[in-house]
Amino acid sequence: MADLSIAVRQAGGVAVVLPAGFINAHTVRDFEATLEGLVQGGQYRILINCRDLSYISSAGLGAIMGLIETVREHGGDILLSNLQDNVFAIFDTLGFTQLYRVFPDESQALASPEAGG
Amino acid sequence: MAAKVDHAQFRLIIPSQTRYLNLVTGLAKRASVVAGLDDATAAKVSIAVDEAVTNVILHAYQGEGHHSVELELRFTPQALEVHIWHSGQGIREDQLVLPDPSEYIKHPRKGGLGLLLMSRFMDEVRFRADEDSGRNECCLIKKIS
Repeated sequence: MADLSIAVRQAGGVAVVLPAGFINAHTVRDFEATLEGLVQGGQYRILINCRDLSYISSAGLGAIMGLIETVREHGGDILLSNLQDNVFAIFDTLGFTQLYRVFPDESQALASPEAGG
Repeated sequence: MAAKVDHAQFRLIIPSQTRYLNLVTGLAKRASVVAGLDDATAAKVSIAVDEAVTNVILHAYQGEGHHSVELELRFTPQALEVHIWHSGQGIREDQLVLPDPSEYIKHPRKGGLGLLLMSRFMDEVRFRADEDSGRNECCLIKKIS
């Protein structure tokens, strides 16, 4: 099994990104390329559903951080949902839970004003 | 005569390539549990080790994959110690500046978060140069409460 696989699906005006596995310095390029591809294609409302994400290092956080200003400048946002405890601990330790909206599950994230719901 | 083995410590040498990160972090997580740490703490130790080894590969060795990174795990009644040695560019403790998370929130940018995670998730993080061997060491310590 690959360290990381990434699925993307559309839910209304929101691109839902589903990373499965591990995001570290080795796999981050795929994750970054997925996010950059969405933004370059004009998709500025992005939800990262972390249901199957076992692990994320600072490399993965940097990939998200690198795009947040661009998406917000275009009236969009990057939302997070379904964080496992260890993944939440990393986001929270670095203060990212203040910078990003974190939702318990995907349906609540999609119903939020930031997602256009 | 059999060589004397210290059963409270062992070493692993990996090539300086990020493809081995998952192997190292898996080992660190399981070693933490063996040392007596709970699962949540073990996950934090594995992240700290990931960040330390990533720093060695990407910064000390500037992404060159033909070098070696040596890890030593030491189990004591008081703590789990992870020592990471390399021959690349070292970090001087007196030049270390940990990023301020609140500044990151005001001015988002990539990079610089690894050291912060290491310092938050471990009880001690030390950097030193061994002048005799010419190698550099990063030492991560997690106390067992």
